[in-house]
Formats: sequence, C-alpha cells, structure tokens
Amino acid sequence: MSFDISLIGSSLPRILQGLGLTLNLLAVSTLLGLMLAVLILLMRLSGRSWLVWPAKAYIYFFRGTPLLVQLFIIYYGLPQFGFVRQSVLWPLLREPYWCSVIALSLNTAAYVSEILRGGVMGVDKGLTEAGKALGLTRFQRATRITAPLAVRLALPAYSNEIVSMLKSTALASTVTLMEMTGVARTIVANTFAPYEIFIAATIIYLVLVWIIQTAFSMAETYANRHVRKG
Amino acid sequence: MNFRVGLLSTVAALLLAAPVHAETLRVGMECTYAPFNYRTPEGEMAGYDVDVAKGIAERIGVELNYVCQEWDGMLPSLLANKFDLIVASMSITEERQQKIDFSIPYRVSVGRILGSKSADLKLFDDEGKPIPEAFKGLRFGVERASTYAKWIEATLPGAEVVYYDGNLSMLLDLQSSRLDIAITNPMKAYLDFLSKENGAGFEFVSPPIDEVEYFGPGVGVGLRKGNDALLERINTALADMIKDGSLEEYSLKYFPFSIQPENWKGVD
Repeated sequence: MSFDISLIGSSLPRILQGLGLTLNLLAVSTLLGLMLAVLILLMRLSGRSWLVWPAKAYIYFFRGTPLLVQLFIIYYGLPQFGFVRQSVLWPLLREPYWCSVIALSLNTAAYVSEILRGGVMGVDKGLTEAGKALGLTRFQRATRITAPLAVRLALPAYSNEIVSMLKSTALASTVTLMEMTGVARTIVANTFAPYEIFIAATIIYLVLVWIIQTAFSMAETYANRHVRKG
Repeated sequence: MNFRVGLLSTVAALLLAAPVHAETLRVGMECTYAPFNYRTPEGEMAGYDVDVAKGIAERIGVELNYVCQEWDGMLPSLLANKFDLIVASMSITEERQQKIDFSIPYRVSVGRILGSKSADLKLFDDEGKPIPEAFKGLRFGVERASTYAKWIEATLPGAEVVYYDGNLSMLLDLQSSRLDIAITNPMKAYLDFLSKENGAGFEFVSPPIDEVEYFGPGVGVGLRKGNDALLERINTALADMIKDGSLEEYSLKYFPFSIQPENWKGVD
C-alpha cells in the first residue's frame, strides 16, 4: 500500500468543515450536561432517600452502559414506538443532531455529577462547621464555602471529562452527522485511504485537546491563585 | 524502496515455494446484506453472493473462508490483505478499478429511489430524467461511498443528502420519516422492505437508474491487482456458470425474477 503524505494536507481543510459541528456538539452537550449534573448532585446530597435513589440509579445506568448504545437507543430505538413519533418531542428526536446532544448530555451529566460530588466531599468539614458557628445559613454555607472550594477541587477531573466529551462527539458520525469524524469517514470511503485521512483527523483532535488542556490549566492556576505553592 | 522490493520478493518467493494443496481463499462480504450475503438464523452464510462464491470455489477447486466487513471498509480491507476476494455485490466502476481488479459481471447493478406513497412524489420527467427542483427540501438517504452516492453527487448536486453506513439503518430512518426518500438496490428493497409490512406505505418513486457511467457494467468479484492468473480462473468459472444456467438458478432462489446481466428485466 502506498502512503500519500500530501493527502493528509489536502484532507485537513475538508475535515475542518466538520469542526463547527464538533464544537457545537461539545459546547451544547457540555452545558446541558453540567446543568443536569448539578441537579443530580443536589438530589444525591439532599439526604432524602426518595431523591437520593433516583439520582444513584441514574448515575448507575448512564455510567454503566456504553454511550454508543445509549445513542442507538435514543436514535433507532425510540422511533420504533408510534407514540414517540406522534409526540411533541418528535421534531427534536427526528433530528440526528438533537439525538446526539441528548445522548451526550445525559451521559456526561452522570460523570460530572460524580466529579462534583468528589469536590464537595473534599471540602474540609471544619470550614463548613466554622460557617455554621458564624451563623451562616445552610444556603450561604453551600454557595460561599462549599461550592467555590468544591469547584476548585473538581477542576482537574472536570477537564478530563471535557476532553473525553470531545472524543465522544465522534460517535455522532454513526447517526449520519457530518462532524469531523463523519467527514473523515466519508472521505475514507471515497478515497480508500484510511491512514492518511484518519491521521489528518487525529491531528485536529490533538490540537483541540491541547487547547482544552491549556485553558483548564490556566483556569486551575487562576482558581488556586490564593493557595501558596511549595 | 529497495528494501521494500526486496522484502516483497522474499515474501513472494516464500509464497510460491509453499505447498499449494488445499488452497484457501478469504472472501470479504458484509454478511448483513440479505438476500445477497447474510447469515441464516442457524449461523450459515447464505445469499446470492455466497452462492456465486461457492460456485466459483467449486469450479476452481479452493476452500472458502468468509470475512465479515462493513461496507465502507471493504476496499481498504482487501488492499490491506484482510481477505483475497470481494464477493459483496460490489459494482464494477472506473474509480474502483483504479485500485482493484474485477471479474466479469455476475449480476446487474441498478438503483431505484424509495419514497412514501402518501407523499405523491414526482421526481422524474417523462423521459426518466431527474427534475432537480423536485428534490429540493427532500432529505435523501444513501449509503456512503456507494455507486448511488456518486450518482447523486454528480446528478443532483443541490440535494440534501444524508449518508449511511448500512442499508438497514437507512430504511429504519425512512420508516421513521427522518428521510423523505432513499436510493437503494431495488431487488433488495423489493424483498426486504416493499413486500413486507414495514414497507407497506412505500413505493419506488423513480425508474431504474443504471447509467453505465456511474453504475458500471454490473456487479463483479473484486481482487487485488496483480493476481491475473486467479482472475482468469474466476472469469472462466463465471462464464461457465452463466452458460450452464447456475446464475439464473441462484437468482430464482431469492427473487421472482432473474438478476444476472443476460436476463435482467427489472422489478415491477
């Protein structure tokens, strides 16, 4: 087999046409996922069993099954039921874009809520007790003491999750979306040159991951600016 | 470069020196493309492509090993030596011929467009030419890198095309109205879809599309270039199968009509 380096260069701009959709999927699902994650976290920490158990079950289900399977259930499974196609949700579920966003958001919410819980657990109990002694309400303690510290503790793990999400967006290509991997697969199918094209896609993903990593490390430095080093 | 040539000739020498008894050929196919190549519930390989492959194997005296491969990786896998032959309903096209060799055709290559009966689509004029305006606003499903995709890209550049990895997922999306129309193999569509409950609300909304420029002379057996002796043996076997009526017999096993090139009359 011949290896054509110039094909990497010439396929880069074509794969980049899918960049917008990749970033769009990443941003929208990350945002929706984060909101859902906070909700699940609050349920999980509420101490009321009728809230804790659904949250636990949710986390167990979405961490326990492959994202690809979740996506296929939403994309191919749901429309099998007539009532889904009659429902008000159908205009959303009809679109491969929204099916992907829903699957990605539901999945990441489970992971992120656990990441955030790790942060909350990591906050020194003495600090909240001190807050209590000062007469802060439960809400004030949560928003002014626990949350800022928990976010700081959760940042490294959260950046990991964002990188993971970026790579997960590639799964959207299995439901006909033309994000970067979808474009790459189409070019491969036409040129029969998997190495060159997927290497080109790899390069773009690596650049994106580098940007995400750098941004998060800057955010971490900023968040820990009061912490003395060494 | 010299190293590579040296390596190749060493490998070739080793291969030539190897004993030739019980030669085994690995055949690549999707294994999910009924009734051409698929697995029966018992796990046996069956279908028109499989019958053709078996017929060839019998005539040239080789054993077969089936390798299941997704459509969009079929050609790269052959080139990467994952198998030796493609017998997977692959149409002979000029573009593919630049990469691999093909046998003589063993089946016709043709596409037709499926659409909902209730949509009352008129996409082709009386001479059978597509009307580009009529395709506007329709979501058009097609398998990635298929001859159908080439035809759409060349003939209907403005169409809203959705690319699929397989026929099955495309037909599911047609049923769930994610797609308005989809182009596929009419024989397959007839057997798996239109004649079944799922396809009851659908019909062909195009004449048979078989421009040789895109669809080529038909479906052939694909193999890596430089295997002229094997190609010759396969061609002789296929010619024999056309002459003695085997291909005709295989067609009628799966379809109420013949699909070998000499006897194609269309589906209607």
